[in-house]
Amino acid sequence: MPHPTPALSLPLPCVQAPSNWQRVDFISDLHLDERESSTFEAWVHYMDHTPADALFILGDLFEVWVGDDNTDSFAAQCIAVLQRTAQRMPLYFMCGNRDFLVGTALLKATGMQGLQDPCVLALDEQRFLLSHGDSLCLDDVDYMAFRAQVRHPTWQQAFLAKPLSERQAFARNLRIQSETRKQTHTDYADVDTHAARAWLQTATCETLIHGHTHRPAEHDLGDHCQRWVLSDWHADSTPPRLEVLSWLRDKAHGPTRGLDRLPLRKA
Amino acid sequence: MSNPQVELHILDLGVITIELDAEKAPKCTENFLHYVNKGHYDKTIFHRVIPGFMVQGGGFEPGMTQKECDAPIENEANNGLKNNHYTLAMARTSDPHSATAQFFINVADNDFLNHKAPSMQGWGYAVFGKVVSGNEVVDKIAAVKTGRKGFHDDVPKEDVVIEKAVAL
Repeated sequence: MPHPTPALSLPLPCVQAPSNWQRVDFISDLHLDERESSTFEAWVHYMDHTPADALFILGDLFEVWVGDDNTDSFAAQCIAVLQRTAQRMPLYFMCGNRDFLVGTALLKATGMQGLQDPCVLALDEQRFLLSHGDSLCLDDVDYMAFRAQVRHPTWQQAFLAKPLSERQAFARNLRIQSETRKQTHTDYADVDTHAARAWLQTATCETLIHGHTHRPAEHDLGDHCQRWVLSDWHADSTPPRLEVLSWLRDKAHGPTRGLDRLPLRKA
Repeated sequence: MSNPQVELHILDLGVITIELDAEKAPKCTENFLHYVNKGHYDKTIFHRVIPGFMVQGGGFEPGMTQKECDAPIENEANNGLKNNHYTLAMARTSDPHSATAQFFINVADNDFLNHKAPSMQGWGYAVFGKVVSGNEVVDKIAAVKTGRKGFHDDVPKEDVVIEKAVAL
């Protein structure tokens, strides 16, 4: 019995790319954490040097985010990097399942523009549907129930009203549960193909770009529909997992392929 | 009438023979033969090579000097021909009806380049022929080393020169 597809409320918000954008980058699942310094450094180097005209961060930029009032030194460093990038180019941010508590205060402080999950990006000849991806992993029934709870405004208001230390303890517990789960579960839920195709049809898009699953790949969904999965980032893996998905408009006269995976070097 | 064929003699790599589809793509066919017969393609290069996608040429001389072209033609992408591996299609700018001399050979099935709708976004790229011999020469072109030259990406490090284009 297939799971019902999560409903989309139409029309979806749409970012219409101006015709002078030559390169648009997509990243997700960096899981920035002060204990993972080489991934952080690779990200800072990328942010300060990408020649993109716009950057879309599609969730789980942070390993954890317990509220915009957390201004520890690591958060402050990340904010400074995001501010620098947002001064150079339009910077878009969508929440993931780890950093869903990023709020308007952080967006304002950094200059990022918030994106709903999902939303549409119209680039030239193509319409892309952007999502973090967790809301389509329908086989993970427990997670879907948890997600419904923590994405509810009432839950979030109550949670954010708690002292920072209590929220941090809650996040630590979730992390421990997640680690335990990783050791006991080998089979992770993936994005539901039927639901992905239904979303694309409803949104009149052909390409879904998402992260979350840490399984970078391109999937042909039939009927000209595709699903591009962003890579997670981990600089200390062998080989390092550092990759950007780029949409490139060729200045030359001729067709463009659209999306390309660009590997990055360690900083 | 049988379909016209054109040989592209690629310096050091071999000969690609292309059959043009005069029935489904009359305007592109006429246009391409016009450039072939006036010698436009002789000593031009494949200046844009992207493995797994396409190889494009017909507009530049060695040194990335752009050649003068004649008036643009109507886009015939709505003729039912698909941008499949080893097919020949017209290159153009973002204006659907802007093709002149530059063409490309698909080196993969590029469905997303096919005609979808008569709009700016949906026109697609007009296929007007296919390689009938010399696929291996196309593969060799797709495999050359490329880099950035001036404003252009994906330019072969060593020129891939069309010595001459001959209508059979």
